[in-house]
Amino acid sequence: MKKIIVVFFALLIMSTYGCGPKRLYHYGSYSNTLYDYRKDSNHENLMKHIKEMESIVVESNEQGMRIPPGLYGEMGYMYLKAKNTGKALEYFNRERNLYPESIILMDRMIKSTKEDS
Amino acid sequence: MKINTKILKILSVVMAVAYLAGCGPARETRIKMFPKMYSESPQSILILPPINTSTAANAKEYYSTTIQEPLAYKGYYVYPYEVTSEILKQEGIYDAELLTNVPLKKFNEYFGADAVLFTKITKWDLKYIVIGGNLTIQIEAKLKSTKTDQEIWKYTGTVVVDLSGGNSGGGIGGLIAKAIVTAVNAAIVDYVPHARRANYYALSSMPVGKYHKKYRKDQNDQIIIQKVAK
Repeated sequence: MKKIIVVFFALLIMSTYGCGPKRLYHYGSYSNTLYDYRKDSNHENLMKHIKEMESIVVESNEQGMRIPPGLYGEMGYMYLKAKNTGKALEYFNRERNLYPESIILMDRMIKSTKEDS
Repeated sequence: MKINTKILKILSVVMAVAYLAGCGPARETRIKMFPKMYSESPQSILILPPINTSTAANAKEYYSTTIQEPLAYKGYYVYPYEVTSEILKQEGIYDAELLTNVPLKKFNEYFGADAVLFTKITKWDLKYIVIGGNLTIQIEAKLKSTKTDQEIWKYTGTVVVDLSGGNSGGGIGGLIAKAIVTAVNAAIVDYVPHARRANYYALSSMPVGKYHKKYRKDQNDQIIIQKVAK
């Protein structure tokens, strides 16, 4: 019985993580929700895309993966569109801290967000 | 009669040589194909809005929503396209055509980018057949250095994505054509995954960047010099 339980959990873990080399990032349904938002930029599609990116962050953290480049920056920008300046600034800063390549652009975004608010 | 045999012999040799030269894909190492990618070692890439000369009006959207992901997997820092394309739009730049003569140094000053990706979509055809379909995408992609304005990587070619069932998860594995054609896949309506697959293929010859574990270890990888791939 114990053996069966061990085998069951081993299979469960294997099926959750899949086999082969570990991927660099987790992107969820990012391109799908982004495409929907581009096709119809309404508030509902905006919030769906933000929600998808939020879950990419949660799932990446759970799996110990790095957040994909540009994702925090895009979240900041989408929060800005959703008129949430606080969150926008928070995510621009996260992008800036995680990826030094983004500093010039993120500083620009942070500055213009502060000026406009 | 004697002359005829001679001609035949010569012809057979010519044909044999042509056959041997033409058989199997030509291969080259990454460093020989794209030496500047190694000498300049760009870390960050800015994706410019694509130029679309294909007949499909949606091609630009499909392309630009699916290009960031494969480029990030290549190990580069990729600027958030939603943000950068909006900034460029405010500057009156809707597609890369307007940038042909702009010094690329500007992109380094304004965004911090080491390299800029230019793309031209020349064909985007979706063909349905009874038991499946093909998405044929013809693109010309170029990566240019913002330091020297020189081209450091390019891909010109046709990517054919088999839409008849199979892997929708993207990645290199998804590129392997399925031998058995299954029933029409429900995913045929949603071709975001297929566009992403095409982008994975188009970028496959590009050397990897610093976030990739093979960074500075892929110089001698053999890559296939091939224009049409299924």
